This record gives sequence, C-alpha cells and structure tokens, in this order.
Amino acid sequence: MPPAGIWIDALVQSSTYITMAFGMVLVFSILGILNWAHGQYYMLGAVVVFYGVTAAGVPFPISMLITGLIIAGLGMLVKKVLIDRVSGDLYVGAVTLALIFFLEGLASMLFGMQDKGLANVMPGNMDLGSFSVSYQKIAVVSFTLVVMIAMYIVLNRTKVGLSIRAAAQEPRAASLYGVRVDRVSLIVMGIGCALAAWAGCIMAPVYAINPFIGRIPMIFSLLAIVIGGLGSLSGAIIGGLILGFLNSVMTYYISYYSEVVLFVLVIILLLVRPQGLFGAALK
Amino acid sequence: MLELRSILVKYGKTVAVRKLSLSVNKGDFITILGANGAGKSSTLNAISGIAKVRAGEIDYKGEKINGLKPGTIAAKGIIQIPEGRRLFPLMTVEENLKMGAYLQNDKRRISEALEKVFILFPVLKEKMRAKGRELSGGQQQMAAIARGLMALPELLMFDEPSLGLSPLLRQQLAEKIKEINRDGVTVILVEQNARLGLMLANYGYVLENGELTIQGKTSDLMLDDNVKKAYLGV
Repeated sequence: MPPAGIWIDALVQSSTYITMAFGMVLVFSILGILNWAHGQYYMLGAVVVFYGVTAAGVPFPISMLITGLIIAGLGMLVKKVLIDRVSGDLYVGAVTLALIFFLEGLASMLFGMQDKGLANVMPGNMDLGSFSVSYQKIAVVSFTLVVMIAMYIVLNRTKVGLSIRAAAQEPRAASLYGVRVDRVSLIVMGIGCALAAWAGCIMAPVYAINPFIGRIPMIFSLLAIVIGGLGSLSGAIIGGLILGFLNSVMTYYISYYSEVVLFVLVIILLLVRPQGLFGAALK
Repeated sequence: MLELRSILVKYGKTVAVRKLSLSVNKGDFITILGANGAGKSSTLNAISGIAKVRAGEIDYKGEKINGLKPGTIAAKGIIQIPEGRRLFPLMTVEENLKMGAYLQNDKRRISEALEKVFILFPVLKEKMRAKGRELSGGQQQMAAIARGLMALPELLMFDEPSLGLSPLLRQQLAEKIKEINRDGVTVILVEQNARLGLMLANYGYVLENGELTIQGKTSDLMLDDNVKKAYLGV
C-alpha cells in the first residue's frame, strides 16, 4: 500500500485534470471542436497569477479571480478573431494547434524560459497525525470541489445553464426558441478558458512555472474526457480520478514505466468501450 | 397576418423554394402539402429565420421579418414545432417546457400556458420528471407541441407532426391541433400525409419541386383530379 502522500498527490493531480477537462468538455459540447490550446490557457493562468502576486502585489485569491477573467477575455477574443473565421473541423483544429506554439512562444519572450515559483503563497502544512498535507494541496482539492459544485448549479439551476445545455443537445431547436447559439458558444469559450486558467493558478504554488507546463495537463485531461466519454461532465470527473490515481500509484511502484502502462490501459479501455465509460451522456 | 411574397430559398446552388407566395389570415388553418423534398420544411424554416431568404419578402403584421434572427421572430409569436420533434433529449419534460418559454418573462402568463398544456395533454403532468429521450414517440410529439405552446404562439407551424405515429395516435394528434386552432392560434400544418392535412385545414397549398402548383380551399382540393391522383392515391 503506497503511503498517504501518494494518495494525496493522486487527488491533487486528478483535481487539475478535472478542472481542465470541464472546460474542454463544455467547449467540445457546444462548438464541436477540441481546443488543442487549452493547456496553454492553463499555462497563461499560472504565468499571469505569478505576475499578479509578485510584480503587482495583488493578494493570491484576488489575483486568481482577475487572471480567470483576463484569460476568459483572451479565449473569447481568439474565438471571435480566429476560430469563427475558419470553417471545417480540420482547419479549426489546425488554428488551435498553431495557438499552442504562438502562446508558448509569446510566454517565452515575455516571461523567459526558466522555472519560476510561487511557493511562498500559502506556506505551511496541516498536521493529520501520522502524516501532514500542505495547505497548497488542500487548496487545489477544495477549489476543484467548489468548481464542480458551481458548474452543477450553473448548468442545472440557471437560465444561462439551461440555454447552454439546450444549445449542446439540439442547437436548431434551441435557436427556434430564442437561444442565441453564437452568444452561448462565446460564453462557453470564456468559461472553458477561465477554468483552464484557474487550474493553472491553483497549481502555480505547487509546481514550477514555465511556458511549457500546459502540455502534460492538456494531454491528461484529453485522456480523461475520452475515458469518461466525450461530452460528459460526470465522465470527466471519473476519467480525471482514474487517471490521477493510476498515474500516482503506478509511479510509486514502477516510476517511469507508469505512463507506458497507463496509456496501454487507456487503449484497452477504448477498445472495449469506444464511446468511453459514460458515452456522450451529459451535455 | 403573414404574407410571403415570391420568396426564394437556396442551399448552396440547390433551389429549395422558388417564387412562393402565400398569405395567412388570423385564425386560419392552412396546410402545405407536397412530396418529400418539395420545399415544405424550407418554407417553414424561411419563416422562422433559420433558412435565408435570397429574394422576395416575408411580412408579419405588415412588418418585414425576413433577415431577423430566429429568436426575434419567435418573440413575435411565430413558433415552429420542428420535424422529428427535436426535443432536448437529456432534459426533463419540465426543462423542455421551460425552454419553450425561454423568451417569456411574465410568470403569470407562463403558468397560464402550463395549465392549458396540462388540460390539452394530461399525460405530460405525470411525465414532467422524465427525460425527453425516455418518452414514447406519441409522448414526444405531445411534449414538442407543449414546448411550442409554452412560447405563447400567435402563429404555430407544425412540420410533419404525424410522422412515425400510429393511425390511432395520428387521429388523437389531429384533434389536438384542431383544438389549438379553435383556441385562437393560427396554424400552418406541413404534411406529407395529404389526407390528414386536407381533413384538418381550411385552405391548402401544394408544392412541387419548390414551386407552388395548386392552391385552394381544402374542400375543393379534395375533389381536384390532380391532387387526388398525386397525393390521395385515388
């Protein structure tokens, strides 16, 4: 049995994947595209919050809130200026792939490529008897819980949420009854990018920050939603948990080989259940 | 109330509707008949603002409406119940009805509309918590009509409502549509089932390859030799 620290790390990893995956699922459900640059919004979240705290001296929670809004704005701008002008899944995919390198290059120019850290935010550990957990990690997991609850409430209890689900399930009927599908997809893009940015913010004190930190979380969240079933939020949660726990626990036993085993397991799962665990159930 | 003047609808280079003119007065019950691909659905979509009108004009209460957004047209009381029900499959019936009233803010009028819906379709009251995709075909059609009624329509357009229903359900549906019309809602009924359309409506238009070929009172159309041969199989 791995020590408690491994299980905590598993939960922290899962949390990142889940928050990231939520944004990707939302955008995929409404726009029908995978935003390949989703990981770079995560990276920008970490970078912007770093400057907010260190250069501007804004307290971390407020800095985080503002960062989410800035990145949401950026994501919406990118949608209006780039994505909306291109038609066809392939070309939209190419645009968002190109964005990966553009945003990483931009961050390298402005931020430099060396690692930076925000470790002094939320220092200290919570003592839990036989082991202790850093406040930073507690913050990551609690934030993800808040995001999950907030998303549930927004999607199921508000008029905006109703229109998002309607546009995802039957866009034409939704527009017949007055939903502005173009506006909904813009809002969804904003929410998706803000979630990615917030995942980056909340992880910033835990890991090092550099322009390339968006790649791995993006790949893992993509896997999480594929395992869970494209288009399903509950699937994203389950997929994120499976990946986070498998990866952490296997790394403990077999270190580098864990990713090989992990990907083989994912492939086997998809061979058995190509639609993912939950099909396209949410929307 | 509604006036189509020589409208043209195209999808790419394919003409769906050509030089179609028709007019509907308040309280009317008209039907648009024709084979599959004759341009019936395109006509409704043009009125709803989903299909683009390339030439001609659509007026509603003396005001040009082609070019307006679908939501703006729906807000004027022109509501379409689309072909194949198009319920929101993962939403409950209750949420589907809420979506029908998406543009309505007057709580009292919404609850009045809901009461009417329950009188018309008592089954839906027990199915409020069921998801759209869990309903039977007949119930789905009822829910789709109910969703349309929640939008407080002045003009209600049905696109092939009888499709996929058993003869018995079709008969019940016909009664309900008649009842809605009697209640003061103007109705446009698009049907491949010409017999049903002619039985219900007062006035009919027949489309062929996107063009209007015959129009007239349904009582006359039923006796028309061409209509009989082509659509009634007599």
